[in-house]
Amino acid sequence: MPMEPAFPAWLVWLERTAPAVAMRNAIWLYPIVEIVHIVGIVLLAGSAFMFDLRLLGLSRHVRVSDMARHLLPRARLGLAIVIPSGLLMFVAHATDWGTSPVFRIKIALITIAILNTFVFHGRTVKSIDQWDQHQPVPTGGKVAAVVSLALWTATIAAGRLLAYF
Amino acid sequence: MSRTAVRLTIIVVFVSLAATSVQAHHGWGGYDGNRVLNLTGVIREATYEHPHGTLKFAVEDKIWVVVLSPPSRMQVRGLTQEMLTPGTRAVVVGYPHRTIPDEMRAERITISGKRTELR
Repeated sequence: MPMEPAFPAWLVWLERTAPAVAMRNAIWLYPIVEIVHIVGIVLLAGSAFMFDLRLLGLSRHVRVSDMARHLLPRARLGLAIVIPSGLLMFVAHATDWGTSPVFRIKIALITIAILNTFVFHGRTVKSIDQWDQHQPVPTGGKVAAVVSLALWTATIAAGRLLAYF
Repeated sequence: MSRTAVRLTIIVVFVSLAATSVQAHHGWGGYDGNRVLNLTGVIREATYEHPHGTLKFAVEDKIWVVVLSPPSRMQVRGLTQEMLTPGTRAVVVGYPHRTIPDEMRAERITISGKRTELR
């Protein structure tokens, strides 16, 4: 038997696909995809941060409903940018990242952050007429905001730390 | 109530991050900058790939794994893939990995009189 580390076959296969090979060998593709990924992070996490700060009591003159109408489409666009660019970087190093605990943590953090958004928009938002403007946001909204700030920050940290573990 | 939830969230995130005990590999921190290696040898194999190129570098009877720069940086600085053809003699200055005995990170490489800074 050859002395190869036993990586799952699907990760080995992914790493040999044309996009994965191009990501590793084309001189400028990798940095371009990294830049695109960061722009997507700005749109996604930036929108989340600005919305969260409003929930925590900043700029109470701005209607929460107006902020949501402005920021949610930008956050979705951000998600539509980070997912394909992230997948390209993943396939380039599929065996490394597919077995990395840091990558698993990153995916878990993103999942919880998105769940947190659904809980907020599914439950807390129902009473928005009472706190849309000039009023303190209920505790549930503030908790969602702090959780969101912590999760997106930790997601960015995990993404960056992938290169160092 | 909200303060407790905040604290719990912060603790959970940091504990889950700290709990991963994997070995640091990339970046310069894994290499011992106080021990400078200056090695003359022959390139046996080379990769010119992201995130960084590598050499299998034969020095006397030892084969070193030499970690180079990203290929974009090497190309900009004039160190082409062709210059790393197996069989080429080179001088590599760099630092040994702290825990992997045959791995080093290159600070610079000199091939047929042309010196390329890699950091």
